[in-house]
Order: sequence, then structure tokens, then C-alpha cells
Amino acid sequence: MDEVIISGLTKKFDDLTAVDHIELSVPEGSIYGLLGPNGAGKSTTIRLLCTLLRPNEGTAKVGGFDVIESPVQVREITGVLPEEGNHTLYQTMSAYENLEYFGKLYGIPINELHGRIEELLTFMDLWERKDDPAGELSTGNRQRLALCRALLHRPKVLLLDEPTSALDPVAAKRVRELILSLAEKYKQTFFINSHNLSEVQRMCDRIAIIDEGQILISGDTEELRSRLQASENFRIRVVEDQETALSIIKSMNFVTSVDREADSILATIDDPINNNTILLQALLSKGVRIIEFAEEEASLEDLYLDVIKGGVK
Amino acid sequence: MSLQKSMLVARADLKMAMKVNYVKYGLILIAAIGPVMLILTVLLIALTAPTAAAATLAMIDPLLSPMIGIVAIIPASLISANALVGEREQNTLEPLLCTPLTDRELLLGKLLSSFIPSIALLLGSILITEVCTIFILMYIGSEIVLIPGISSLFLLLTAGPTIILAMVSVMILISGKVKRVYEAYQTSGATVMIFILPMLLPMISMDAGGNVDMNLVWFSNFITLLISAILAIATWALAIGRFNRDKMVSM
Ligand SMILES: Nc1ncnc2c1ncn2[C@@H]1O[C@H](COP(=O)(O)OP(=O)(O)OP(=O)(O)O)[C@@H](O)[C@H]1O
Ligand SMILES: [Mg+2]
Repeated sequence: MDEVIISGLTKKFDDLTAVDHIELSVPEGSIYGLLGPNGAGKSTTIRLLCTLLRPNEGTAKVGGFDVIESPVQVREITGVLPEEGNHTLYQTMSAYENLEYFGKLYGIPINELHGRIEELLTFMDLWERKDDPAGELSTGNRQRLALCRALLHRPKVLLLDEPTSALDPVAAKRVRELILSLAEKYKQTFFINSHNLSEVQRMCDRIAIIDEGQILISGDTEELRSRLQASENFRIRVVEDQETALSIIKSMNFVTSVDREADSILATIDDPINNNTILLQALLSKGVRIIEFAEEEASLEDLYLDVIKGGVK
Repeated sequence: MSLQKSMLVARADLKMAMKVNYVKYGLILIAAIGPVMLILTVLLIALTAPTAAAATLAMIDPLLSPMIGIVAIIPASLISANALVGEREQNTLEPLLCTPLTDRELLLGKLLSSFIPSIALLLGSILITEVCTIFILMYIGSEIVLIPGISSLFLLLTAGPTIILAMVSVMILISGKVKRVYEAYQTSGATVMIFILPMLLPMISMDAGGNVDMNLVWFSNFITLLISAILAIATWALAIGRFNRDKMVSM
């Protein structure tokens, strides 16, 4: 069953059409990533889904409830992490009080509330900070607290607007793992906005790319990735003699572009099946010691950039 | 519609406001202007004309006591300016609007969070003025009269809360239009000026010779109550009818 069904959804702000007749369905238990550049309409889509904004045209159903006809029921079964969630907490309330307040608003039974707050805060490594005013927590801790708030009432559908944007890599990884485990364990459905491609690639089983309010492409993450042509990009890592290696690689006429990263060289090679051997021989004959010569996996980034630029259909 | 949910909102708002000392003491200070002015007047009359004090006070009560009601509108306007616009400015409104609260529950919560402390300040002001007046009159050995007297008490306890209700409704009404708390304060200032007018009505009951016609006092009291009630009902209906989540999250 599809947990979120969006049909013809449109939102205009004066003459600007922020969301333009979009169609999407999010299967139950899936992690759906909505990708797009700044101003594409991602946050507006989430705000329409959580009934904060009213669509001008079209509609959406969340957990079977229509956002226009049954907004209260939609809000009951959704958990929302607003954009810049870390700025949306009551600064003078403690971490615990922030959750307690929202727990009560969502109608969590009083005898369960304490246990749930403790469980979540402990999981997010915030239990020790439970009595600190939210305004005194670090950005990352506030972001995690806002995430706790979204999860507290165990909603069927989670709408997360850039959940890891304020987090360091370790914290971001934990949040990704949390999302994956929740989706599996409780069959919670996640709808996530992001511009972080590698994150979406790692976490989401389905993605859609939105730009100027329109969905440009959507589908299964793996399937979309496989739509890209076989890669012609290779990563070459050598010991010490990077300069020599670089000049050799550049001198080859079948190498169409060369990029240098911190410890490796990225080369695009025409007809790699024949030419890679030639390049390798040339490098070895000059005594260059190679640690790695590997194909770069086609990434969502390539697809994303292609789609945004109007390339892939 | 659950009153319990509205009370949750009101209680959270109150708790937060009371955590900020300058808000707490600022409001008490503003509310204190009414009783202080009244008590000083009583003191002045008691000291300059002790024998005629009771009679004089009884006569000027309808002109004097509405002052408490006028002053009590100001804290109501200040607290309610924060109720929705403040949350919007602090970015906390969005998650609140994502909860299952209905528009009515939310607005009633916001109404109560301004109404409850305003009423507490109003009642406190009345009580302190009464006690001090009795104390002063006893001290100079005069006959005891109530300030506020019975007719003024009626006005303050009926039209007072009603006007406060109207004031808070107006603030809720404008919360969709203004973006910053200071803009809300400015609008509230203008509204306060209009809303104190009915409270001044009892003053017409004094004739050119300085005599007060009690029939006229009661008549003007009822008119004031009527005007306040109409204002309160109209503004609250407008506030609920015009409330629009869309506007609350728009930039
Ligand atoms: N409340 C509003 N009033 C007017 N215009 C708005 C409003 N909200 C969004 N917009 C406009 O709608 C467009 C889409 O905005 P939206 O916030 O949905 O983009 P986004 O994809 O979330 O971008 P970002 O990645 O920067 O968060 C933008 O051009 C934005 O300026
Ligand atoms: Mg956004």
C-alpha cells in the first residue's frame, strides 16, 4: 500500500508556483528521498503534506487521510522535522520539557510519556542533557532533540526536512542508521528532503528529483543509478611520484579530462577496455608505483547534475 | 474540541513567560500603575480632608475606579502580542501547527495564556486597592467606603474581563498580518486607545456641579458592558474565522 499519495499537488505564492502539479507515491515502510537544488520546492512539499500550507490545486493523502478534508487526522499520524529543525525548539524549556509538551499535545498517555522520552533521549545521547535549556544545547544536539520530538508519538509517516544538515558526520551516520532501523522495525515511512546526494543514495530506496516545483525524475534508487552509462571515470592512486604520473596521464590522447584530488588522480578515459592497458604500461615503464587503479562507481550525483541541467530523460 | 489541549498550550506559554523576570516584573509594574494612582488619591483625600473623606470618595469612585480597568488592558495586549507573533518570530509556531491541535484549540490556548494572567492582575489590583483604602480610612478614623465601590466593582468584574477578551482577540486577529513582535506592540497600542474609551463612559455621569448621578452611573456601566461584549464577540468571531495556517507560516 502507498502511505503517501500526491496527485496534481500545486502551491502558488502570488505569481510564483513553488510546487507545480506533482505526482508521487511513497510505499509503506519505504524511505523516500526528495532531492533538489535550493528553492526547488522541497520544503513547500513537506509543508503541504503536514497541512501547514493549503494546496491551490490537487491533493495528497497521508496514511489514507486527505490533507484538505482530514487535516487533524493527518497531523496525528505524521511526525515532522521542520526545515532548520534545530531552531524550532522552545529555547527556555529544557530538552525534557520540550518533549513532554509535545508528547502531551500528541496525546501520548501520561504513564508512557516518561519512558518514551527517556528511551529517545538516551538513544540520541541526550539523556544527560535533559535538564539543560534547549537554547543552550549545541546545534547538533538541538537537531537531534527536534528529531526526538518528531519521533516521540511513533507516527506512521515521518516528514523530515534536511534531517542531517546540521550534524557532524558521526551524528549524521547515527541518524541515518536510526532511520533505517525504524523503517525496518516499525514499518514507519520516511519522506526526506535533502540536497545531500550521497546520503540519499545510501539511505533512500526511492528518490525523486524536483526542480522549479516539478518532478523531473523519480523511481527506485538502484534503477535510476543503472540508467547511467557505464562509467569512463577512473581513480588512480600512486606512491610519491604524483607529478610524473600526472604528466604521463595528461600526455595520453585518449584521456579526455584529468582532475586532481588530495591523494589521487581522476581521469576520464575513452574506450577504457583498450586504452587502460596502454596507460598502465606507460605508467609502469616510468617506474610509477600504483596503489589503486579503479573504476569510479556511477553516482547519483552524475544523474542529478544531468537531470537538473536537462540532460537525462 | 478539547479544553484540556488548550490548557496545555496556555500553561506552557505562561510557564515560559514567567521564566523571564523582566516580563514577569514588567507586567506587574505596569499593572501596578492603576492601584498606585488610586491609593495615592485616597491617601491625598484622607490627609487633606479627613472628615469628608468617606463622602468625597464615594462620590468620585465612578470616575476613579475604572482606571484599574483601563490599566489592566495594557498587560493583556502585551502578553497576547507575544502569543502567536512571538512564536512565529522564534520559529516555534511551525512544529506547534504540525500537532493535532485544531485551530480552535490553538487559539483558545493562546487566548487563555493572555487572559489568565491579565485577569489575575486585574483581580490583584482590585484587591490591593480595596485593602489599602480600608486601611487608610481606618487609620484616620473615618467611616469605611469601598474603593472600588459596588458600581465600579460591577464594571471592573464584568466589562473588565470582557474588554480584555476583546483585546486578546484583536491581537490574535492581527497575528496573521504582522511579522514581528514590535509591529504587534504598535498595533496593540492603537487598539488599547480605542478599547479604553468604553471604560471612560461612567465619567459622563458627573454633572457640571460635580455631583454624580448613581442612576446614570449604573446606566453607563451597562452600556460599557454591552459595548465590551459586542466588541469581544465580534473580534473573537473574526479571529477564529480569519485564522489561516497558510498565513501563519508564510514569510
Ligand atoms: N511562504 C512563502 N511565501 C512566498 N514564497 C515562498 C514561501 N515559501 C517558499 N517560497 C518560495 O517557493 C520556492 C520554493 O521554496 P522551498 O522552500 O520549498 O524550496 P526548497 O526546495 O526547500 O529550498 P532549500 O533547499 O533552499 O530549502 C522558493 O522560490 C521560495 O522562495
Ligand atoms: Mg527547504
